[in-house]
Amino acid sequence: MGDDSKSRRTVLKGVGAASAAGLTTSLAGCVSQNGESDVDGAENLGDEVPEIHFVAPTAGANPFRNELADIVADNWEDLGFDVDLEELEFNAHVDQVVVQQDFDASLLGWGGTPERIDPHTFIFDMHHSSTTGEGGRNTPGWESDEYDELAELQVTQVDEDERQQTVYEAQEMIAEAQPRTYIANEGGYEPYASSRITDINPTLGEGLNSFWNLTSVTPTDDDTVRFGYPSEIISLNPMQDLATPDRQFVRLLYDQLYRIGEDGMPTPWLATDDPVIEDDGMTYTVEIRDGHTFHDGEPVTVDDVEFTYNLYADSPTYSSLVEDIEEIETSGNEITFHLAEEYAPFVANVLGQVYIFPEHVWGDVAPEELVDYEDEDWIGSGPFEFVDWERQAELQLSAFDDHFEAPNADNLIRVPGADTAQLVNDLEAGQLDMVGAVPQPTAVNRVREDDDLDLSEFEAIGYAMIEYNTRREPFGDRHVRRALSYGVPKEEYVEFIRDGMGTVTHSTISEHNEFWHNPDVEEFYEDLDAARQELADGGYGWDDDGRLHYGEDQ
Amino acid sequence: MGLRAYVVRRCLQLVVTFWAFFTLLFVLFRMMPGDPTSMFIMDGMTPEQREQRIAELGLNEPLHVQYIEYVRQLLTGDFGQSFIYNDPVTSIIAVRFMNTIVLMATALIFAYIIGITFGALMGWWRDSRFERGGIVVTLVARSSPEFWVGIVLLSVFVFWLGWFPSSGMRTTGGELGGGFVARYGSLDFLRHLFLPALTGAIAYLATPTLLMRSTMLDVLNADFIEIKKAEGLPERTVLYKHAARNSILPIVTVAAIATGTAMGGSVVIETVFNWPGMGREMVSAVNNNDYPLAMAAFFLMGSVVIIMNFVADLAYVYLDPRVEYE
Repeated sequence: MGDDSKSRRTVLKGVGAASAAGLTTSLAGCVSQNGESDVDGAENLGDEVPEIHFVAPTAGANPFRNELADIVADNWEDLGFDVDLEELEFNAHVDQVVVQQDFDASLLGWGGTPERIDPHTFIFDMHHSSTTGEGGRNTPGWESDEYDELAELQVTQVDEDERQQTVYEAQEMIAEAQPRTYIANEGGYEPYASSRITDINPTLGEGLNSFWNLTSVTPTDDDTVRFGYPSEIISLNPMQDLATPDRQFVRLLYDQLYRIGEDGMPTPWLATDDPVIEDDGMTYTVEIRDGHTFHDGEPVTVDDVEFTYNLYADSPTYSSLVEDIEEIETSGNEITFHLAEEYAPFVANVLGQVYIFPEHVWGDVAPEELVDYEDEDWIGSGPFEFVDWERQAELQLSAFDDHFEAPNADNLIRVPGADTAQLVNDLEAGQLDMVGAVPQPTAVNRVREDDDLDLSEFEAIGYAMIEYNTRREPFGDRHVRRALSYGVPKEEYVEFIRDGMGTVTHSTISEHNEFWHNPDVEEFYEDLDAARQELADGGYGWDDDGRLHYGEDQ
Repeated sequence: MGLRAYVVRRCLQLVVTFWAFFTLLFVLFRMMPGDPTSMFIMDGMTPEQREQRIAELGLNEPLHVQYIEYVRQLLTGDFGQSFIYNDPVTSIIAVRFMNTIVLMATALIFAYIIGITFGALMGWWRDSRFERGGIVVTLVARSSPEFWVGIVLLSVFVFWLGWFPSSGMRTTGGELGGGFVARYGSLDFLRHLFLPALTGAIAYLATPTLLMRSTMLDVLNADFIEIKKAEGLPERTVLYKHAARNSILPIVTVAAIATGTAMGGSVVIETVFNWPGMGREMVSAVNNNDYPLAMAAFFLMGSVVIIMNFVADLAYVYLDPRVEYE
């Protein structure tokens, strides 16, 4: 760690002192230095604890987390670790950490799209021992039989209250073991032109990018809403690998049986009502809405729905999404799914994810051609119709007036920007009506002062986190992970580095995900004394230079 | 050596240069960390989906097999499919390349016309106020970063005066696509072109101005200028017909190379004005590990540099008969 980061730290501390209220406890810990601590470690020392290879984003990839990484590395060095901080661009970072698993500690974010409001992703995918492989979600490689039982149990619990209890217990166990430091849910401010649009509806995890916002936003000066986002859509083909920004527009063109509602719970969409669940959660029967049509006027029938689910099963990219469905039956306007095994998140994660296709358009496409198939008009049955698209310039959609939830804007134009700063320029110049991204604090302040513009705040369910590679020593030891977690200044990160945007978290489930969040998990604020105590309890000790060693017996 | 032998030898050199160039490109991109699936992993791509995708793209083949396939494609003029967009690279690049050419050609033409004229006059009126002021202005233009110039122009012409749009190539919501004239011929397009082109012109202006001035000073010291003056020719004739024409040679080389690099687009200008050109496409292709698209973009840009150098060599011989082929 160079002097540079120390001096920035000093500045941050200064800011902290100036407006100290509410932060004193967390900042108190960072004052103590090597050797000043009262904590005595093991008396007889073994080898030095190996250097921590800490992978973090570059300032270009994520300025906030880059700043945080410097401070964390400083704190860890204060605790007696040697830290080798490596800064990487996003793709290289993901590849090295998530795929190659070549790291000791890694600072990354995990996104919170609406389909992740159901706790399955955060509880099962990210922490179950079956997902520790290359590219798997359990990047820390953390394994616990006791935990696996809970993660597997919640999948089978169709009763929400019972499932909630299991999810609560799982969160407690994760918090105690700290395979990751759960740092903050990174909500923020997104700018829009209050003088030109109204009825914005930023929802949990997505802000202005949310489905509910894009259908409710109403232009007041003309009939068009212009939406800016800092990158281009890759494809509108729902059968391709889609990134989050793609999905956010694909779902405007295509409907699902259920949509994740504004409150995060699946609500009937093409379905008329909640599904009838029988056989202890092994059978789901859904009635399809009558009289709805695709954009080309053809009716949406139960046959289209059945066709779609079979198409997904044949698709090389998405077959895993519907792999739990063993058999499909239709009768009149009803479709029945028989599952191979119980799957509690079935409505949210399957019925809410599969886009219904028109059989008369997709019927002749072979499974291996699905990914490359270009339906020029992208005919779906969603609230918006495709008009035209020129890459890197604009995507034009228009309202599908025959939809049962027709949008308020007649036209929606999506403009891919060069970066967020440039999009804010466009917003100020009147060329855009809203921006689906969080600008830098200076731009946020400019927007605040502009009478034509306003900020919309949203909360996130995804989070910034530090993952520990438990496959390697000493990170397999929970004392070490817990000590390192005490070295992360979560409040400082939200208050000063992120300028107040977001909320501190201690659990894998965000406090904004109210039903599933357990508010009573063990909390880890920055506290270097507690960290030393944790290391001493684990049997570690310090030499005269303050360097951390294994105890002799370890 | 005769002209023909010279051209033949330069052509052979060209082939070797190209081979080294695209091989280097291949190696460089394969050494880059990450792969085209990296950007999807955090969005929920499972390990099975990832392996499936890698196999589809042929990235699980040994490197030499991939290299041979790449060369084979290149020789048939096929840049392959973009890994990310799943579209042919040629169709993606064609539009971007055209957008960049229109922007950069406009900027370069203005920069060189203005630069050569002012440079010649600055040399002619040596030690005048005009020359001293001109040098200051040129140096300021040269040392101003492009993004700063762009933001200043935006503040003045967009936020303050409101005369021009802040970004893009045309007003949103209109008819998309269309032919060359529909795209680049409209008044709307010219309004969008003005500020980014001006930013580019300011950035490129200094080199031709200063170069022209200093070669002018050399030429003006030559005897034949005195003789022309003594012959009683009007000052304008001496300036334009004799002094300026003889000073223009080095400008040709510089212009050729500048054209080459300009065709790669200016990432900075394209970012400030959200211009859908090559520069940004190259950056995003590299960030996404979209090897076919990135390599094609670099190949195209590098090719323009290589070929423009070649053209400059030949042009020298044509412009100045004293230059010999060796």
